[in-house]
Amino acid sequence: MIGNVYQTVCPGCNMGCGLYIREDEEGALAVDFMKSSPANLGKLCRFGMKLAHHYSKATSMVDGKESSVEDAVKAASDKLKGADVTMLGVGNTTNEESLAFSKVADALGTVVNTGMGVYSELPTECHPTVGVGITLDDIESAKRIALFVDPYVQYPLLVRRILAAKKNGASVVSVGWRDLHLADENKYIDPDMYESELGLDSESVIIADVHPNTDPGWVKRMLNLALKTQAKILFMKPFVNATGVDLLCKGTGQKGIPEIMEGINEGSIKTLVTLDSDPIELMPDSDAAAATLTKLDNLIVISSRYGPVNKMADIVIATEPLYAKAGSFMNVEGQLLNNSGESTTGIDAMSTLAQNLGGEALDYQGLHNNVLESIVQKFTKPNYKELACEVLDIGPMEEKKGNLIYLYNPFMWFDEPDDNDFVMVNMNTVNKLGLGKGAMIALTSDTGTVNMRYRVEDMPDGLILTAKKLPVATGWTTIVSTEAV
Amino acid sequence: MVNVGDMLVGYATDEDVRKRGASGGLVTAVLAAALEKGLVENVVVMKHINEFEAVPIITDDVDEVLASTGSLHSVPVNLAKYAMGRKVAMPAKPCDAQAVIEQAKRDMIDLDNTYIVGLNCGGSMHPVTTKKMLVAMYDIDPEDVVGEDIEKGKLIFKTKNGEEKAIAIDELEEAGYGRRESCRFCTLKIPVNADLACGNWGVIGDLAGSATFCQVMNDKGVKLLENAIDAGRIKVEPASDKAIAIRAKVNDVMVNLGSTLEEKIFPEIPDEGRIQFYMEQMADCIDCGACKEVCPVCACGEDSKCTMFHSLVDNYKMSMYHMIRLLHLTDSCIACGQCSDVCPSDIPITLLQSRFAIPAQRRREYTPGMNVDDVPPFFEVILK
Repeated sequence: MIGNVYQTVCPGCNMGCGLYIREDEEGALAVDFMKSSPANLGKLCRFGMKLAHHYSKATSMVDGKESSVEDAVKAASDKLKGADVTMLGVGNTTNEESLAFSKVADALGTVVNTGMGVYSELPTECHPTVGVGITLDDIESAKRIALFVDPYVQYPLLVRRILAAKKNGASVVSVGWRDLHLADENKYIDPDMYESELGLDSESVIIADVHPNTDPGWVKRMLNLALKTQAKILFMKPFVNATGVDLLCKGTGQKGIPEIMEGINEGSIKTLVTLDSDPIELMPDSDAAAATLTKLDNLIVISSRYGPVNKMADIVIATEPLYAKAGSFMNVEGQLLNNSGESTTGIDAMSTLAQNLGGEALDYQGLHNNVLESIVQKFTKPNYKELACEVLDIGPMEEKKGNLIYLYNPFMWFDEPDDNDFVMVNMNTVNKLGLGKGAMIALTSDTGTVNMRYRVEDMPDGLILTAKKLPVATGWTTIVSTEAV
Repeated sequence: MVNVGDMLVGYATDEDVRKRGASGGLVTAVLAAALEKGLVENVVVMKHINEFEAVPIITDDVDEVLASTGSLHSVPVNLAKYAMGRKVAMPAKPCDAQAVIEQAKRDMIDLDNTYIVGLNCGGSMHPVTTKKMLVAMYDIDPEDVVGEDIEKGKLIFKTKNGEEKAIAIDELEEAGYGRRESCRFCTLKIPVNADLACGNWGVIGDLAGSATFCQVMNDKGVKLLENAIDAGRIKVEPASDKAIAIRAKVNDVMVNLGSTLEEKIFPEIPDEGRIQFYMEQMADCIDCGACKEVCPVCACGEDSKCTMFHSLVDNYKMSMYHMIRLLHLTDSCIACGQCSDVCPSDIPITLLQSRFAIPAQRRREYTPGMNVDDVPPFFEVILK
C-alpha cells in the first residue's frame, strides 16, 4: 500500500465518530468517511472535516530546547522525584495512555484529575448515569426530547438523531440560548419551572452536557429533573475519551481545572503534569490561564499535539499523533472503540517515567487487558443505567455572571480557527444599538474591547452568544457593554 | 485476439484467485496483470475493513492486488482523486466511472493513463443499515454473512453455514432498508462508460458463480484483456447468445425498476410551496462542507463559487452555498448519493440536487460521465 490508512475516532467530542485518516507518501493527512461506524455512519461535523489541521505534531523539549523523547523523560523524572505533583488528563487520548498516566500518578503517590470538578460533588451512585447515558440509537425512539445543549453548534452529530426521533413522532423542546430550528418549542424559562413546563415523562430524554466549566449545581439540577420526571438522560462531554478516563479514575477525588488553576495562583500547586490537556485551551480566558501557568515551578506536558501550553512547558514529552496510537476510547454511550494504529511511543515514554519514579514497567497489551477488565465488562454493550441516587441537594446555584455567553464547541475547546469570528444577537439588540449592514459590535469588559461581526438570531434580548473564544471573556459568561462601531 | 465490442466470459487462471474473487476473479486478475506487466504503475484496490466496508487504497504490489477481495456493499467513492498524476488501473461501479470521466473533462486526470474496469451494479447498501436489516429482516447475524447477490428482484445473503436467504428488494425498501436511495432510481447498471464492463449477469451453466461476463468497451479495454491473457492470468471465451440475452434481460429489469421508482422518489412539489420546501430541507445544515468535499464530480478545490459567497455569519434564509451548488452541479451531478451519505444532518442532498439535474440533463439529452468528449451543456467558455 502506498501511504497509510488509519481507523480512528474524532477527538472533537465524546460522540465517538469513526473516521479514517489517510497519510500519503509525503505525510500529508486527509480525512475519509468510515461509513461502518455505528455512532456516525461516517458522517462528520465541521470540526471532523477539518481534522487534518488538528493533528499538529508535538516536539519533545527540555527547557526550551528540542530534545529526544528519552532525554525529555529523563529530565521529567529528575524534576518529579520527591515533588508534590498535580496531574491533569481530561480524556483527549486513549484509555491505555490514560491508564499509563494513572500508573505514573501511583508512582508519585498522587491521582490523575480529569478536570471535571463536578464528579467529586456527585454521589457515587450517580456516576454510571452521568458517565454513560442513554444510547444514541435510543434517542431516536424517545417520545419527547428536552435539549439543554445547542446541537448544531456544540454536538452536531446529535442533530440527525434528534431529527430521526422527530420522524418517529417525538416532540422536541429546547431550553437554551437561542431558537433551534429542529425544536418544536424553544423556551427561556426559570429552572424552577422545568419540571412543570417541559412535559417530560418516562418516555422522554434529557440531553445536557458536562464539561470542566460546568456548574455542579446545574448537573445536579439536570439529575433531579430526570429523577422527578422519570426521563432518561444523556450528558454529552467535550473530550473523546472523557467517559473512559472517568471510569478509570473514578473514586480518586477529582479536581476541576478551575480548582487547579486556583491552586496554582494560591501557590499550593507548584508542579503540574498534563496528558493531552492544555489549560490555556481549556480555560475560558486563555491569557489569564497562561499567566497562571507562569507561576508553576515545573510544568511538564505529555502531548501528541502542539498547543499553546507546549510553548510554556519546562519539559514536553511528545507522543505520536492520536490516530496512530495503539489503543481504545469509550464513547458517551459506553461503546469501546479501537484505533487501528499500532504505535506505543506515549505508553513507552510513560513506562520509563513510571520506572524512573519507582513504579513498574508498563506495556500496551498489559494496559489494554487492564482496560478490558476494569471498564469494558460493564459497558461493552450500550445499556442505559437507571439513576440510582436520591433527589440531590442543589445548594446555591452559581449566578449567571454576564451577558456574553460561550457556546462551547470543539473549535473552542481546542482554540482552533474556524469561520466563526462573529457573535449572535437578536434583532432588538441590533435595533437598539443602531447596527447597520456591515457594522460591528464593540464588546467591552474589564479586560479590554473587541470588535465583532454579528449574526441575527431569535434569542432573548440582551444576550450575546459566541462560538469562538474571545479575549474579553473572563469566564463562560462575562459582563460586557456593547456599542456599534 | 480481443476486439472492441467483444462479449466474453472469463475467469482467473489461479485457482485461489478464482475461488476468492467475486465471480471467478477475472477483475482481480486483470488488475494484477496490468500492474505486473507495466501497463500501469499503480492499482486502486478496495482494502477490506469488514464484510460491509472497504476503503480504496493505492498499491504497486501485485500480491496486494491479488489479496484484495473488496467488500459486499462498497458504496461509491471518489476514485478519481487516487488517479491524479498516476498511471493507474481501478475497479469502478458505473457511477464511480462516471465521476472519473467527469474529472477527466475538467483536466483533473488523464484518461489515457487511467484504466477503468467497470463492475455491474444493481445498487449499493450502507454498511450500518445493512447490518440492521440483516438482524431485523433476515434474522441473520451480520458476522455470519459471507456473500450477497441480487437476482430476480431479490436480495440474497449467503451465510457461513452455506444457507441462502432471499427477500424481495421492494419489501426491504418499503421497510426502510435495502439499497441506498440514489441507487433506487439509478438506470446505469452496466458500466458501458468504463473500459471493460464486467459482472455476473449472463454467466450461466457450469460457469455460473465462477466466471465473469466481460464486454470490451474500447481500445483500453482491449489492452487490459490482452495484457491479462498474455500474462497467463485469465482465460476467456466468447459469451453465448443465450448468455448475452440473459445479461440484457437482467439489465432491462433493473433499469425498469429504477425508472419506476423515480416517480415514487420524486413526488411533485406544488409551485407555491417550492421555495419553502428547499428552505426547510436545508434548514438543518451545519455547514460542515462534507457534501462538497465528497462530491466526485466537483473539481473546484477550496477556492470555489459555492464557498466564496458563503459565510457562517450570513443571515440568508437559505445558504448561498447550497443555492450555488444546486445550480452549479445541474449538468454534472451523477446522483451517486455520496453527498447524502456523508451529511451529518441527513439532508437528502442527492434528491434535492437531482430535482434540478435530472430534468436539465434530459432536456439536453445529456448524461454526465459517459464519454469524455461529451461537452457539458452548461460548460463555460474555454479561454485559450
